[in-house]
Amino acid sequence: MKILFLDTSSFFVSVAILEDSNVLYLYQDEIYDDMSSKIMPIIEEGFNKVDFNINDIDKIIVANGPGSFTGVRIGVTIAKVLAWSLKKDIITVSSLELLATTPFNTKYIIPMIDARRGYVYAGVYDNNLNSVLEDQYIKYDDLKDYFDNSTIVSFNELDNATKPIIDVVKVVEKHKNDKGVVSHLVNPNYLKKTEAEEHLEEKND
Amino acid sequence: MNKDVYILGIESSCDETSVAIVKNGCIDLATVVLSQMDVHANYGGVVPEIASRMHVENITIVIEECLRKANLTMDDITAIAVTYGPGLIGSLLVGVVAAQTLSYVYNKPLVPVHHIAGHIYANNLTKQMAFPLIALVVSGGHTELVYMKDNYSFEKIGGTLDDAVGEAYDKVARIIKVPYPGGPLVDKMSHQGRDSYNLPIPLDDDSYNFSFSGLKSAVINLVHNEEQRGNEINKEDLACSFQTRVVNILCKKTLRALKSFNVNNLIVAGGVAANSGIRERLTAICEENNINLTIPEFKYCTDNATMIAAAGYFAYQLGRRAGLDLKAKANTPLE
Repeated sequence: MKILFLDTSSFFVSVAILEDSNVLYLYQDEIYDDMSSKIMPIIEEGFNKVDFNINDIDKIIVANGPGSFTGVRIGVTIAKVLAWSLKKDIITVSSLELLATTPFNTKYIIPMIDARRGYVYAGVYDNNLNSVLEDQYIKYDDLKDYFDNSTIVSFNELDNATKPIIDVVKVVEKHKNDKGVVSHLVNPNYLKKTEAEEHLEEKND
Repeated sequence: MNKDVYILGIESSCDETSVAIVKNGCIDLATVVLSQMDVHANYGGVVPEIASRMHVENITIVIEECLRKANLTMDDITAIAVTYGPGLIGSLLVGVVAAQTLSYVYNKPLVPVHHIAGHIYANNLTKQMAFPLIALVVSGGHTELVYMKDNYSFEKIGGTLDDAVGEAYDKVARIIKVPYPGGPLVDKMSHQGRDSYNLPIPLDDDSYNFSFSGLKSAVINLVHNEEQRGNEINKEDLACSFQTRVVNILCKKTLRALKSFNVNNLIVAGGVAANSGIRERLTAICEENNINLTIPEFKYCTDNATMIAAAGYFAYQLGRRAGLDLKAKANTPLE
């Protein structure tokens, strides 16, 4: 089974080509600007290094958020157009779950993305990537009950957070046999409405 | 005989997700435009983040629908043309990334198209463009006079120094409480009114530049002052007075450009090309001065991918190509 994995939901980008559980190509690095012009060349480079081409891909797995709105859109757009072209379904995974692949020795792990003004996008996971508290937009302080027996990981400067180490294989292994979704129906999972929508709702309440 | 060229165009620079297939730069085989206007109307204008989100939701649906409509497959396509700018960056990059992906998967050339070049080449779908020409580009985001000696040679000779003409229309519409997008309604109302309000003439100098913010401010001040005095505004008269100033200056500078560049082909492009005041005056002026005027069909005036595919054909023929690292650009000069 040939798999393309994409995560562009933060500045720390992962692009991987796998065959079953073997990673044939892995790009993991920080991209701070012009991400929209850098991902397809990375994918091209990846397929130049393996002995099959993009048309041979069986599964497309994409991290569809939460995270940088623009970043998530880039990965999801590539996945959608690619899946549509190849007539394959897409498997989406949470960007937070991906952060939760970091090794830890507490009961839980809390992956977090800074959402500013004291808020974070976060979830609580156990060692097998099972969700204990579903991903949500939440006040950092409201997660306190979990802090005593959890490890907090984030790429952002958040209190008590350590840097994540993303293990693509772990998340691919868990999800590669998930039922996929047809390209048209795959969308980013922003976990937050736009400010304009929030203001309009407040006004209408 | 040359082989037919089929260009698949993608446009997502603002609030329309559009894909089209054009044959040989002039025949519209299929156009799909998914407009988000109804959604943005709730906010009184385009909300960039919402626009970007909707482009992602719809992009593959629009591509598929266009090919189905044309009864073609991607294998029939010669090259992929995409708007890389100018526009809303978050919106643009959905189209750009989609085009990069199609280009790579199907191994088709990727052709970058400037949004304004697209508006100009919308005319080629109506009538084959003859050179040299002057293009008057008027839309919600642009007001420009462009001199073209030949295909794809763009010399911008003037542009707006502040608000685009369509932007001024929308702001005037808002102040007289006409629902978004108010430009077309202001145009309609102006035909029922008289030029009775004393509004300033916008930037009437020797340049080919435009400035509409002073005129717009004058309308806003006038409405506020009348409201404070408890006087009722005659909206039709105000619309007429505003439109008359706009049309006069656009036509005056366009005619001067035609004369000083010794050109007798004029094309009009952009969403405001649908404005009846501008159409009527330019038609009359061009008849008087023996100038060939082309205005695109209404459906090609507003944002669409057909015009991008039409422009893309000429860019393709001239060997213009982009790599998979094509960048979306919010601001970029026409070249």
